[in-house]
Amino acid sequence: MRLLQTGRWITVIGLALLPAVYVRAISFTPVERMQGAAQKIFYLHVPAAIWTESAMVLVGVASIFFLFLKDPRLDRFAEASAEVGIVFGSIVLTTGPIWGKPIWGTWWTWDARLTLTLLLFLMYVGYLLLRGAVTDPGLRARYAAVLGICGMCLVPFVHLSVYMFRTLHPQPIVLKPSAPSLPGSMLATLAFSFVVFTVLFVGFVTQRYALSLLREQAAPHA
Amino acid sequence: MPENTPYMVAAYIVAAAILVGYAVLLYRRTLKP
Repeated sequence: MRLLQTGRWITVIGLALLPAVYVRAISFTPVERMQGAAQKIFYLHVPAAIWTESAMVLVGVASIFFLFLKDPRLDRFAEASAEVGIVFGSIVLTTGPIWGKPIWGTWWTWDARLTLTLLLFLMYVGYLLLRGAVTDPGLRARYAAVLGICGMCLVPFVHLSVYMFRTLHPQPIVLKPSAPSLPGSMLATLAFSFVVFTVLFVGFVTQRYALSLLREQAAPHA
Repeated sequence: MPENTPYMVAAYIVAAAILVGYAVLLYRRTLKP
């Protein structure tokens, strides 16, 4: 199947570029004076966080259109995006505490941004559990679409939580109204990492979409 | 400057493991859909 092959190739390109991100971040990006080497976790944490949030927005948008158009491709895309969102969410929720321990002195705190990110992750888990629990394909797609739209509504709160509440989590330094407050070399590394994470996201979603399609073709009413 | 390189190494290994792990999982699932 061509779509599956395309997804595999995109994923292979993303995975091949990942070591380049590591080399660039570790060897060719300056070490931040206050935080030391732990600051370099940022180059993985931030792109993963952007795609964790974006994946849920994509789930929500696809779900809204699905409820109007009843096009199974939209449901399939939402499912694929949610599963890949969990993968990127796992990176966010593991690299974040690993950074927090040396910088904050604790692995976890029930800070607004952290708690809402965990809630978003649990929303993804709930979304996939719901899909697994409902056997009727029509109902499954409809229920999942409603939950996907609820998940999308959570995303602005996750992103703006650092402005809305007093939090330990750093304020955005790239995705904010003013110019990024990051030196050029660090910004270039972050941009490169973001591109690679984007390639991986596209590759994963394409493969996951193709997998759903193959399963439907194998068992049309499952 | 604080010496906390092991934390960076741990985070990089965990992130790579998650990404490569999911890629392998997806590959295996697509072999037998």
